[in-house]
Amino acid sequence: MLILAGALAISYLAFRQGVVLGKDMYRVGISPDGPDIQDSRFRTTTVDRSAGYSLLDERAIDVYIDGDKVAHRNDTRSLYAAGALNRCLERQELARIKGEYAVYTAFPLRVEINYLPAPTDNLSMAQGTSLSELIDTLTGSPPQPAGTDQTTSEGPPSQPAEGPHDTDSAVSEQIREWEGGGRLPKIEMEFTSDQEIIIPSLMSPPIPFAQVIIAFLYVLPVSFVSVFFTSSFMDEKIDRRIAVLMSAPVTPLEIIVGKMLPYVAFSLVSVIVITLLLKGNLLLAMAIFIPIILFIFSIYLMVSLVYRTFKDTTFISMLAISVITSYLVFPAMFSGVSDLSYMSPLTLAVKMYRGEPFGLKEYLFSIGAMPLIFILSMYVGTRILNEEYLMGFRPLYRKVADAIYLTIDRTHPYLSITLLSLFLIPIVYMIQLVTLALSLNVPMHYIPGVLLLAATVVEEIAKSAGITVLLEKRVIWSARDVLVLSFLSALGFLVGEKLLLYVSLSVVSESMLSAALFSANMLWIPLIAHSTFTALVCLLTSRSGVRHYPFAVLVGSIVHALYNLYVLGVIP
Amino acid sequence: MSAFYAIVKKELQSVTREKTIMIAIIIQLFIASFSSVILVGLMSFYDPDSIGLNARISIGVGVIGDAGSPLVGFLRDRNVRVTTFPSPQDAENAFSTGMIDAVVFTPDDSGSVVEMKLFLPESESLSTMILMILKEPMKRYENYLRRENGVHIRYTDIKGMPPTTYEFRYAFIIPVLMFFPAFVAGSMVIDSISEELENHTLETLWSAPLSLNTVFGAKIAAALALAVVQCALWSMLLRLNRITIQNLHLVLLLAAVIAAIVTVVSAFTSVYFKDRERSQFTYSLFTLISVGISYFFDFSPIMLLTRLATGDHYTGIADVAMYVVLLLALLGAFFYMAKRLIAAPG
Repeated sequence: MLILAGALAISYLAFRQGVVLGKDMYRVGISPDGPDIQDSRFRTTTVDRSAGYSLLDERAIDVYIDGDKVAHRNDTRSLYAAGALNRCLERQELARIKGEYAVYTAFPLRVEINYLPAPTDNLSMAQGTSLSELIDTLTGSPPQPAGTDQTTSEGPPSQPAEGPHDTDSAVSEQIREWEGGGRLPKIEMEFTSDQEIIIPSLMSPPIPFAQVIIAFLYVLPVSFVSVFFTSSFMDEKIDRRIAVLMSAPVTPLEIIVGKMLPYVAFSLVSVIVITLLLKGNLLLAMAIFIPIILFIFSIYLMVSLVYRTFKDTTFISMLAISVITSYLVFPAMFSGVSDLSYMSPLTLAVKMYRGEPFGLKEYLFSIGAMPLIFILSMYVGTRILNEEYLMGFRPLYRKVADAIYLTIDRTHPYLSITLLSLFLIPIVYMIQLVTLALSLNVPMHYIPGVLLLAATVVEEIAKSAGITVLLEKRVIWSARDVLVLSFLSALGFLVGEKLLLYVSLSVVSESMLSAALFSANMLWIPLIAHSTFTALVCLLTSRSGVRHYPFAVLVGSIVHALYNLYVLGVIP
Repeated sequence: MSAFYAIVKKELQSVTREKTIMIAIIIQLFIASFSSVILVGLMSFYDPDSIGLNARISIGVGVIGDAGSPLVGFLRDRNVRVTTFPSPQDAENAFSTGMIDAVVFTPDDSGSVVEMKLFLPESESLSTMILMILKEPMKRYENYLRRENGVHIRYTDIKGMPPTTYEFRYAFIIPVLMFFPAFVAGSMVIDSISEELENHTLETLWSAPLSLNTVFGAKIAAALALAVVQCALWSMLLRLNRITIQNLHLVLLLAAVIAAIVTVVSAFTSVYFKDRERSQFTYSLFTLISVGISYFFDFSPIMLLTRLATGDHYTGIADVAMYVVLLLALLGAFFYMAKRLIAAPG
C-alpha cells in the first residue's frame, strides 16, 4: 500500500514527461531525402515516394514525409500524427538553424514584455502609477531600441543590422535553457523580472512543473510516515494493547498526541532536511508545510480510529492518498495562471521557490482549512477513543454516526450543534472541490445541475447530521427542539460560510465558481432559508424515522437547490 | 465444478459486502477525472484552439509603430482584433478604457533583428492567457523574418491537430483504466488467500472433496471476473465521453489476460510468503518494477494497449497471443507448485 504512493509518483512522473508517454504511437514513412526523426513517439521506416504514398493510403503508416513536404490522411489518427510531427519537426528545425546560422539571423524576433496595471483592476489604478507614466517611461527610457517617446510617435529603427544586440545574451540564454530542457516541458521563465525578453519559437507554457515536483517531494515522505502511523495504530488496536493504555491514568489526548508525536516529528525533520538541501526559506517552508502535515495526519488518525481491519485500512488509505495527492498537487500546476490554484497550499511552496510573493490572504485561503480540520479530528479523536468504539464491527455510516454522537456534548446540545456545523465547513468545502473535479465525468451540459445538487446534498448532510444523531438517540424529540437546533445549526454554518467567503472572495474574486458554490449575498434571507431547509430535513427525519434520513436529505437538498437556482436568477 | 462456482460466488459476495471494490472503483474514477482536469488545464496552454476555450475569447491588441508590419496580418489571422494607434498616448487611453487588452510596439523591420515590445496587463492569469494567444502569430512573424534573413526553415506549414489530448487519452488514461483493475484484482487475491492461510481455514476447504487447485482457481477467477467487469465498464464510460477505442475486443482481451497474469503472480506470492503484509509489499514492489521495466520494451502491455486502442496497422491478435502463452505457462507452473509451496514452511 505504501507502494501506491510510489506508483502515483511514478505515474505522475510519467505524465510529466507527457510526450515520451506514447512511445511508438505513430508510424511515419520517410522518403530517402527526408529528415531523421529523433522522437520515440514515431516509429520510422524509409520508403521511396510511390511506396510511401500507397502505404499512407492503406493506413499502414500515419504520415509520409516526402522531402520537405508532409502528407497525411484526413482521419483522426493521421491528423494527430501530423500534429505531433509538426511539433517534433519544428524543434528539429530550430536546432538545425541554430547550428547553421548566426544567432541574429536565426532568432531575429525578440519580444520585450512589460506590464501595465490592468484596466479593470480599480485597486491598482488607485494605488498610484498612472498608465501614461508607465507607458512613457517604458517606451521612452530603455537605453537601446525604439526611441518612441512622448512626443514623436514613430520610433526610428533601433540599430544597424549586423551589430551585436542587447538582447543577444537573452537569446543565447534561452537557447541554452531550451536545449537543457530536453524533451521535458521546460521550466517557465520568471514572470517577475522587470524586463523579460522572449523568443516566440523558444517560448513554452508557464507551467511550473519543476516547482510542483519540488513541492511534491515534501509531501511524499509525509505520506509514507503517516502510513506507518496508521499501521502502528492498527497494530495496537488489533493486539488490544490500546485497551491497556486506555486503562492507564492518561487522557485520550495524551494517548493520541503521544502516538502521533514521533511521526509528526519525523515529518518535520524531513521537511527541514529537504528545505535545507534545496536551500529554501526554512521559516516559510515550515509555515506552509506544518499545516499540511497536520492535515494529512488528521485524516490518517480518523482512518485508523474508524476502521477495524487491515483490509479496510488498505483501501481507505489508498483512497486517502490519491485524494490528498491530487488535491495538493494538481491545483499547484496552475499557480500563476488561475487564482483558484491557491486552493492547494503547494501553490504557496511553488511561489516560494519561484521567488514570488504572496499575501496573508492567499496564505489563509489555502492553509486555513487544514489546522481547523486537524483540531476537529483531534477533538473527535479524543471523544471516540474508547474500547467499545474502537473494537466495534459496524458499517461505516454507523461508525460515523456514533462518532458524531460521542463528539456532541449532550449537556450543551445547542452550543455543540452550532459549533459542529461551523467546524464541518472546511470539510464541506473540500468535499465540494473534490465533487467539482469528479463532475467532469458527467456530460458537459449536466455539470452545473449535478454540481448544484451535489453541493446542496453535502451542505444539508453537514447541517442535519448532528441533529439526526440526537434524534436517533432520543436525546431530543420535540418539534420545538428540532426547530431551535436547525436554526442554530444553520447559524453556525452560515457564520463559517461567511468567514470562508470573506477570505476566498478576496483571493478568487474573478472566479464564478466560488460565487456559485457559496452563493449568498445577504445575511438574513440565507439564514432563514438555510434553517428552513435544515428544519425540513430534520422534521422529516423525526416524523418518518431515522431510516428515511437519506430521503429527507434528498428532499431538503432539492428544495435548497431550487432556492439556489432562484437566487442565481435561473428560475424567475 | 459446482464447488468451483460456489467458491467464486463466495469470493464475490465477500468483496461486495466489504465495499472494498467500490472504493477501488472510486479511486480509479478519481484518478481519471483529476487527470482530465489537468488535461483541460494543460490544453489551454499547449493547444488553446483545440479545446475551443481561448479561441472564443477574443482579445484586442493595439499596435503602435509600424502599422504595415506583417505581424498585423498574422494577428488578424488568429482572430485578434487589431487597432493601430499613431501614438503611445492613444494606445494607452484605449488600454485604460478596456478597449484593448494589450499593446504591441513594432519597430520598422529594416534590420535583421526586430526588437518588439509587448505591454501586457499586470494580472498574472490574464497576461499568461494573452501571451499564449499571441504566441502563434508571433511565431509566424518570426519565421517570416527568418525567411527575410535568408534562413531556410522547413516544415512550417504542416496541418494536423494538436496531439496532446489524443496522446494523453490513449497513452495514459486508457492504459490506467484498463490495467488498474488488474492491480486491484491481484491485491484481492492476496488478501483472500493469505487470510485463509493465516486463519488455517484453507485446510478445511482443501480436505473437502475439492482440490487445492480448484480453490485457488476459483479465487483467481473471481478476482479476474471483477477486473473484466470494471474494464468493460470503463470502456462504456469512455464511449459515453465519445472516446472510441479501436479493436475493443482485443483491448479487453489484453486487459483480461494481463489481469490474469497479475492475479496468478499474486497468488504465487501469497502462497510463498504465507503472510499478508509481506505478500502485499512484494507484490506491489513487483508490479511497480515490472511497469517500470516494461517501459523500455516495445512489446510492453501498456504500449501494446495504446497501439491497439489507436488502431495501429501492424498490431493485432498475434501480439496479444504472446501474453496468453505467458499466462498459460504461469498458470501451469502455479498449479504444479502450489501444493509444494503450501507444504513448505513460510
